[in-house]
Amino acid sequence: MECALDAQSLISISLRKIHSSRTQRGGIKLHKNLLVSYVLRNARQLYLSERYAELYRRQQQQQQQQQQQPPHHQHQHLPYAAPGMPANAADFGPLQLGGGGDAEAREPVARHQLHQLHQLHQLHLQQQLHQHQHPAPRSCTAAAVVAGAPAGCAGALSELPGCAALQPPHGAPHRGQHLEPLQPGPAPLPLPPPAPATLCPRDPRVPAACSAPSAPPGAAPSTVAASSQPASPAPSSSPGFYRGAYPAPSDFGVHCSSQTTVLDLDTHVVTTVENGYLHQDCCASAHCPCCGQGAPGPGLASAAGCKRKYYPGQEEEDDDEEDAGDLGAEPPGGAPFAPCKRARFEDFCPDSSPDASNISNLISIFGSGFSGLVSRQPDSSEQPPPLNGQLCAKQALASLGAWTRAIVAF
Amino acid sequence: MAGAGGGNDIQWCFSQVKGAVDDDVAEADIISTVEFNYSGELLATGDKGGRVVIFQQEQENKIQSHSRGEYNVYSTFQSHEPEFDYLKSLEIEEKINKIRWLPQKNAAQFLLSTNDKTIKLWKISERDKRPEGYNLKEEDGRYRDPTTVTTLRVPVFRPMDLMVEASPRRIFANAHTYHINSISINSDYETYLSADDLRINLWHLEITDRSFNIVDIKPANMEELTEVITAAEFHPNSCNTFVYSSSKGTIRLCDMRAAALCDRHSKLFEEPEDPSNRSFFSEIISSISDVKFSHSGRYMMTRDYLSVKIWDLNMENRPVETYQVHEYLRSKLCSLYENDCIFDKFECCWNGSDSVVMTGSYNNFFRMFDRNTKRDITLEASRENNKPRTVLKPRKVCASGKRKKDEISVDSLDFNKKILHTAWHPKENIIAVATTNNLYIFQDKVN
Repeated sequence: MECALDAQSLISISLRKIHSSRTQRGGIKLHKNLLVSYVLRNARQLYLSERYAELYRRQQQQQQQQQQQPPHHQHQHLPYAAPGMPANAADFGPLQLGGGGDAEAREPVARHQLHQLHQLHQLHLQQQLHQHQHPAPRSCTAAAVVAGAPAGCAGALSELPGCAALQPPHGAPHRGQHLEPLQPGPAPLPLPPPAPATLCPRDPRVPAACSAPSAPPGAAPSTVAASSQPASPAPSSSPGFYRGAYPAPSDFGVHCSSQTTVLDLDTHVVTTVENGYLHQDCCASAHCPCCGQGAPGPGLASAAGCKRKYYPGQEEEDDDEEDAGDLGAEPPGGAPFAPCKRARFEDFCPDSSPDASNISNLISIFGSGFSGLVSRQPDSSEQPPPLNGQLCAKQALASLGAWTRAIVAF
Repeated sequence: MAGAGGGNDIQWCFSQVKGAVDDDVAEADIISTVEFNYSGELLATGDKGGRVVIFQQEQENKIQSHSRGEYNVYSTFQSHEPEFDYLKSLEIEEKINKIRWLPQKNAAQFLLSTNDKTIKLWKISERDKRPEGYNLKEEDGRYRDPTTVTTLRVPVFRPMDLMVEASPRRIFANAHTYHINSISINSDYETYLSADDLRINLWHLEITDRSFNIVDIKPANMEELTEVITAAEFHPNSCNTFVYSSSKGTIRLCDMRAAALCDRHSKLFEEPEDPSNRSFFSEIISSISDVKFSHSGRYMMTRDYLSVKIWDLNMENRPVETYQVHEYLRSKLCSLYENDCIFDKFECCWNGSDSVVMTGSYNNFFRMFDRNTKRDITLEASRENNKPRTVLKPRKVCASGKRKKDEISVDSLDFNKKILHTAWHPKENIIAVATTNNLYIFQDKVN
């Protein structure tokens, strides 16, 4: 479908709709807001995938400048399969990493970024697999990629990241969409769109989410070598490694958790749930100043939140999971997370429009899930900021406390 | 079926239009539901202002046999008033979401009408006689001074102008936390169901202080919410069977004999999504807005944003027929999302013999699909053709490319003029089509 809007405007439109629905007569319409939240998530997935594409492209450029070797991308697939996951984890053609042979030659920072990116998408794909239980197992082999593994979807073989799958099927590119360069090898694959991850945590994705990121990048070369077979389960990582990887500058997908207070109108029970939300540019620096600042958390359980950080498309489902994260992807010091400051975002992406950072902050606010999108504060004296896409990041941060104290109307 | 040609095809003619002529539409006048009763003699409409207007078909005039009886206003009453829920600080709209008639058992008519929270059973009865000649009361109702009464007489009934009275007989309240979207009367004519976004309740028509919850899809944590109930209906013949549709495009058939709580469906009707049509808005356009059983009970029809699907109850994995209502809108979903039109909930209906289905579209167009001949037609509800017995001219929308004469291009469609509610007479070829604030009645051409 050809869409005149890019992901960012779609996100701001959706947020505007949700905001205005709160003042509509007759109360909040659950059905309509649920549908808007789906659009919001789809747009966010696309928006994030654009960011990843950008990052990957830069990393590729770095590699090519450094190594001047022909990339092995098209021959190497990294079928990261989490322990316990079926070996039919999806392919991810566009995110193929370079082979292990030149791994050591790569710039470590870029490699870390890319591994995080990779695992993020791996998680995403696995989650979607689990979610939708595609009957046809997908082979991870290169041959399968070329031949087109039969899949539940129309002949498409790679379950590209759900965000990427949101590309218009006819190939009309979204503005700013740069997924093409991610596939240096085969021609762009048809996009089988698994339905986006839904908000249901009852699917058994918790183990996948927990364990997949534990596949250490170090295992990449070995699994790459064995690419002709479905991947053996990646050895569990040492948490230390992962923490070590964390400080690498990361420009995407870090999940932090915040809490939302939910009032159930039926039982009049007040519960506090944890959300995951996208920590846009939480840089994994030692300070992670954003984490120490921003909204006063209602106690942010960073451990649980950090677990899900590489999983932007799925944080809705991860809201309440008490994962015993051994990933420890929290910044040193374990300071509670908060949405990243605008400055960091713009550091990375200086050419982004101001809207982008606003959007990213809004994404971080609303990354949590449905209740994060539909919240009312009948008791709060603060008014939420108008969601018009021009939202000032500072405003967003200042009001984060209000949002997290929001009482869900349903 | 409706076609431009002659032969056995039906030709639809304008019959009547009800409602204000103004272009400026008062919000309270927006029609929100249309329903024929079991005989087709009565046609009820509900509007956003909480009013119900009932039209009655006049008896056919044998002399003027070229047309069937006209529908004239029979009764008008205020069914629901706006309310305020103080506990939740919510205003409850008075808009009538659905009207369902009960089969007639005596001289009076009964219908159920519902807004977002409360269902009411109305009795509509006629009074054409009144007693006169009371001893203790004057004719105007004032009491006479007993000392002035010198004689006794027996009061007698004398004819009077027909008066139609509507009185609420039952009020079924406080059973729904979310917005009621459907009511459906069981074939036992004793019970009915009401469905909101997350729950379905079973009522007895005589009992108002309690209802029985038969479906509850509310997740333990509202953050896990993925779908809502969008419509529900009882099977026309099996009093134990009902279906409900979801925002994800699935329909579940439940058997009340299986368990008290019908959370587990007996059948799940779902068509796999076509991956080539994936877009930002796939979830929205796959949400089912209406589900209707055929009169036979063998099939059911669902309406999503772009299509109408006919399902055989014996086959769950895909519909037996799919009709595209306005596929040319698929490339416009972005703008339709911006102006909120993508959330419009179109209804659909069967004709009496289950051979034709009808649904509405934009620009005051409505569409009919003949299941036997596989032909379809697009007609317009417009005051321009408002001479009785004017045959409606089929319309055509030009999706792209060169526009032929008499075609309308997609970009010139008026998306504010939408036909969401249509109804087909249970026995005859008479249809009621509701535009924003007008009700059009069309009949087939009778020669």
